[in-house]
Amino acid sequence: MSLLKPFSKLPGLNTANILLVESEEQFQQSLADALVEETSVTVNVRLAKSLPLPMENDESRPRIDLVVFIINLTSELSFQSAEASLKYLDPGYFLGKVCFMVTNARNASSPAERLDAVRKLASSLHCPLLFAEDQTPDGVASATERLLTILKVAAGLVPIATALYVSNLTRCTLPLDIDLPSFD
Amino acid sequence: MDNTAKRLLQRLVRRIPSQMLKTTLDKWSRLTAAQRQSMDYTESKWALTEKLLAICEENELTVKHIAELEMIHVIENPNLGMWYVFQLMDPQDDAHSVELTQFKEQFKSHLSELIRHVSIKIKKHTDEAVWIRIAWGDTFSRPNHLKPTYVVHYLQTPYVFLTSPTSKQKPLLSQALVLSTRYQAIKDANLSGRKLTAIRDLLMKQYLQVFPTKFPSPLAERNCVVSNLHIEKEQAGSAANRHQMACEAFGDGILPQLQSAVYKIQMLTQMLPCSLLMFHQLETKFRDHTNKTMTERDEPFKCVVKFASTNLLESLRHSASSGVASTPVTPLLSSVPLKGKNYFVITDNGPGPSSQMKPSQK
Repeated sequence: MSLLKPFSKLPGLNTANILLVESEEQFQQSLADALVEETSVTVNVRLAKSLPLPMENDESRPRIDLVVFIINLTSELSFQSAEASLKYLDPGYFLGKVCFMVTNARNASSPAERLDAVRKLASSLHCPLLFAEDQTPDGVASATERLLTILKVAAGLVPIATALYVSNLTRCTLPLDIDLPSFD
Repeated sequence: MDNTAKRLLQRLVRRIPSQMLKTTLDKWSRLTAAQRQSMDYTESKWALTEKLLAICEENELTVKHIAELEMIHVIENPNLGMWYVFQLMDPQDDAHSVELTQFKEQFKSHLSELIRHVSIKIKKHTDEAVWIRIAWGDTFSRPNHLKPTYVVHYLQTPYVFLTSPTSKQKPLLSQALVLSTRYQAIKDANLSGRKLTAIRDLLMKQYLQVFPTKFPSPLAERNCVVSNLHIEKEQAGSAANRHQMACEAFGDGILPQLQSAVYKIQMLTQMLPCSLLMFHQLETKFRDHTNKTMTERDEPFKCVVKFASTNLLESLRHSASSGVASTPVTPLLSSVPLKGKNYFVITDNGPGPSSQMKPSQK
């Protein structure tokens, strides 16, 4: 099985590599354009539709510090594709190097059950769950900022903080009443 | 001017937007220069109608002249109203050498023979299309100019485009068309749409065709729009493949604007699967093909699936290239541009043949 491994390659100097996985391939493009604007660190962005990644790129691919799954809550396909991609990640990634980003949470056409399902998934894997707004430049900018914060820690560029330590603070937790029916 | 002429003129002025009224009237050229100057196009439609009625009375214009004006308007705006496509079959030896005057004479004489009172106007447009306006009457009544049928035919092609054919008029019209174009039969091409230009472009393949090739991009400089050296797409190869297959099925660039495709499915449930599986991949609700209660029924399973969009072919191509619809594109979807049809009947034996002389039902 072609698992993506977190520590099998050497890191680059002052470099952070992020992998954005999105079934629809829309938001990841604007996020990538904003991420590379960062000046203090060299950010390399890899874009994928789903995992596993093609083997041909194995040699040229740098060490991926953070894997972000972007899920569009209005599409069931998006969620299922993200779920199916999880098994192609080495378990070492789940110690703070995986993050879930969700869009369209306020959209009327996204069912509440799907958000609950994503929450349960994120909390069972001890990963942070970020909400993003992908239609406006402001939304993209704030999502980029938050990703960069987590990325710098995951790449080891922040002294004293490690990915595992930060993930303990940022990981998704389930509200106690998640299985009770919600009021609309 | 009699009542019909007045009503026709009133209806026309209502339909034509004020900005276009001036140009349409100029093209009509039945008004003198002075009369044209006297028309003030910023007035309300009601005022314009009254003005125009007075001018037409002055010039002693009849309903035939008003019909001319309507025809000019429709030719300029072919994308309003519903058009249905018919195809002529089995050309005789001289079918390919039918030219305009011969066609006009033959058509007029055949249709007048078949039906006593009918008013026919034939006009050739700049793009080689022959436009025919037919007002139908019968043995007892004069032609009804308020409900005309428009027919568009491109000489030397087997395609005929009709608006609103009724079941009484169709056999007469078909007979006249078949005889005047020197073919032997005419059948329903199962294609219809609002935009004449779109369905014509689809049928005559007037959009960028993409042919299957083993090496789609021999020149590396031509492709590869990398926005930034730090951004890299992992699955660019398979994305390019999907895009190539989608373009092969639907064409490249701007596609003709088809609005809908209808699939009428009638099958005995034991054989439910294949085609429904193909739709399943598009995330439709047909997931129950393993459902016991469905498979144990005796009557055939009937349903109609309709795809609608502002530009259907564009949406289908995008769904194939983004991976929503699996590639290679299923023949059910690729038959739309390939065969130039948007009404399909699917039975147990696979997609059925288009039926003869049956109007497309929506």
